[in-house]
Amino acid sequence: MKTITIEHLARVEGNGGVTATIDGNKVTGVKFFINEAPRLIERLTIGKTPEEDVNLVPRICAICTLSHKYAVLRAMERALGVNVPPKVTLLRDLMHLGEMIESHSLHTYLLALPDYLGFPNAIAMASKHPFETKIALEMKQFGNHIMATMSGRFIHGENPVIGGFGKCPSRDELIWIKNRALQFMPFVLKTAKIFAELPYPDSPEAETQYACCNPGDGKYGFVGDEIILSSGEIIDAQDYRTLTHEYVVSHSYCKRSLYKGKPYSVGALARVNNLGERLDGEAGKAFKKYFGPRWKKNPLFNNAAQALELLYSFERIASVIEEALKLPDPGLVRYTKTAGKGVGAVEAPRGTLFHYYEITKGRVSFCDIITPTAQNADDIERYCYLAAQELLDAGKEDDIRDRMDLVIRSYDPCISCSVHLTEVSKAPEDNWREQLSKIPHGQLPIFIGLGVTSRSDDGVGAQLALALRESGFKDAWLEPEPAAKDLCQPGYSSRPIIFIDALDFGERPGRIAFFPLRQAAWNSGLSHRLSPFLGAGLTYAQLENSYLLGIQPESLEEGDRLSEPVRKALERVLDEIKHRPAWRS
Amino acid sequence: MDKTKLKIGVYELTGCAGDALLILDCEEEIINIFKAADIEAFLMAKSDNRDGKLDVALVEGSVSSEKEIEELLDIRKRSKIVVAIGICSCSGGIQAAFLDPKQWHENYKKIYGDMEMVNTKALQSKPIDAYVKVDYYLPGCPIGKDQFLSTLTRIISGNPPDLYNFPVCVECKWNENDCLLNKNILCLGPLTLAGCGSVCINYNLPCVGCWGPTSEANRTSEYNLLMAKGFDEQHIKNKMANFSGTRVKDFFAKLQGVKK
Repeated sequence: MKTITIEHLARVEGNGGVTATIDGNKVTGVKFFINEAPRLIERLTIGKTPEEDVNLVPRICAICTLSHKYAVLRAMERALGVNVPPKVTLLRDLMHLGEMIESHSLHTYLLALPDYLGFPNAIAMASKHPFETKIALEMKQFGNHIMATMSGRFIHGENPVIGGFGKCPSRDELIWIKNRALQFMPFVLKTAKIFAELPYPDSPEAETQYACCNPGDGKYGFVGDEIILSSGEIIDAQDYRTLTHEYVVSHSYCKRSLYKGKPYSVGALARVNNLGERLDGEAGKAFKKYFGPRWKKNPLFNNAAQALELLYSFERIASVIEEALKLPDPGLVRYTKTAGKGVGAVEAPRGTLFHYYEITKGRVSFCDIITPTAQNADDIERYCYLAAQELLDAGKEDDIRDRMDLVIRSYDPCISCSVHLTEVSKAPEDNWREQLSKIPHGQLPIFIGLGVTSRSDDGVGAQLALALRESGFKDAWLEPEPAAKDLCQPGYSSRPIIFIDALDFGERPGRIAFFPLRQAAWNSGLSHRLSPFLGAGLTYAQLENSYLLGIQPESLEEGDRLSEPVRKALERVLDEIKHRPAWRS
Repeated sequence: MDKTKLKIGVYELTGCAGDALLILDCEEEIINIFKAADIEAFLMAKSDNRDGKLDVALVEGSVSSEKEIEELLDIRKRSKIVVAIGICSCSGGIQAAFLDPKQWHENYKKIYGDMEMVNTKALQSKPIDAYVKVDYYLPGCPIGKDQFLSTLTRIISGNPPDLYNFPVCVECKWNENDCLLNKNILCLGPLTLAGCGSVCINYNLPCVGCWGPTSEANRTSEYNLLMAKGFDEQHIKNKMANFSGTRVKDFFAKLQGVKK
């Protein structure tokens, strides 16, 4: 057994790394981990006014600051019933295009290109490739200029507010930006060509699901009220949780997302795959010329997709400004609502970003932010795993480190952003019975009791499993009786699994909760005892068919007796399970 | 390497990396900075970083994990001058708005539950001067380009930086803006250190306090004024604490005392 580790990924935003574990000729695990400490941003917005929230949350990340600003504004305006005039939308799109240009030019030329041209960094590349370095810097500077003009300063500008802008940019400023964008066109066309034709390695290549915002006007774009998947499925952005089932892993302060039990990818490559047919003008021509089947399965093509989006963004600036100049400067739209809820979805340069708020009595009462890097984390690990295994099979173990580095960098991860998590609203009292009845009929579940009987209420999982076994449920087990591999045997692998555990979710003792395992993990902070099952062996299909029944403990002190409320809860659950017609043994 | 040049390191603890990014955004001037000093460490900009003795360490971000304490103590030991850059480093930043440690623990648990994290233990965010001596404070969220360049130039030439110790209102008057407090808008200008050029008020928006508090501020007077204007007490306190929670704790305690 040995490990290949990159402790600090260079040329990515923030502090993270990756580890691959190799046992003989098998890669047994890949972990993409994050070293940054949590900031609990979503929690500190609680009790603040919507305006304060708009000031605070973009501070999550200096690079994606305006994507956060745009997402929070869309969410707040939805919650508070604010409809902004078309000019405000156009100017916000312009500020967002500035961020896209800034971020994509930095990532393609200065962070990714050195890998393909064989340099350790952009400074080393500059002497041999002055042209590429120079345009990259000029494009980035131009992106920064747009951001500063629209938001008030380079980073964390406060000019975009609920209902519009504190002050709209002048006609002269807009015309200058438009003309400058047109001057860049010959260089941007060349950029699309350079990155479409780079010699991207053919490993890893595997299909995945792609997700991005679906712009309402049927065109290419970076905002939308719907999410579109590569399968063609459409999800209302208000139902974003359907897409982003989140769970916690112990090796990172960044939560993870799966859709239908499988990882998915967001970002430039997802957008070009899902919406590329809609591109027109020069970007449309470039798409027809360069897009091919490998773009659908090779994450390294994200750099090619970013270059295509640079072309789209520069072209789009001219038309946005022309439209905006025809309209008068709008005043701020005022609002009177003091309660509501809403989701704002936008495409940050590195993928779909969701902000969700609930407002009660004029204050934020709930906040949930889901970042692109958190959604990509599982696919990043999966592609690193595929690349590592293929290189190992080909006898090129020495290349694994660099290839994993390349894969992760291609996703343009933003690690500051990723460390921002959520809690879920509380379920109603009797919800667990209803949830229990949602388990598909026909297959008798496997019950696994977790916990230590010597720590009073912590023993409720084991005691309930024992009681079930005595009632005739043969497959009611106590930790550590079944190993993950046993559960993969024929006859077991297609059956639902119900884990039972004492679970501290901040409720009164004896309160029962029942969740699909995926949600349970982010719902309440899953006991670390589950990690052997989550980490190894169980297939995605099984994880998707696994559940957690948790009972709020009163005490976890040393002792072998259950507290009164927990004992009563145990009896209620036992009674319910024993009397379910479908499961009666 | 020129032996007479100062050795400088730029370090990022917990935050949004905005101050480091702003230094990188000084595109034209940064070349001169690299000429005038040896940049020994700057993770965001370069990969060949060294851990040797430093003349000046610029530290961004709050201290939010055990690992960061060690890192910070090591930086202090190696450096003649430590400059806190940005609001997170100077006063804890937005993540230090939880004033009560109990409140932080509850919030932490609500998000991560009791899962054991394998990398490093998380701590309630604090400014760097909670752990080490800080020689100079360069405030801002993020720091301002002009203030950064003038501060660094003065340090490089062996002089102490000449930072403002007056509130945003002074800059706001220089810019000939109308006072928003007169229009009954909750503006934190009188309490907040100048240096941003009163940017928000220039855009017709109230100051949010992102440069942190000025030592000259008369908080009691602003608090009474805002109460008299009919703002909600909790709202006023939130606004004061949003960017610099750790620096208003004493004031809130005093306020509590007066009420009793």
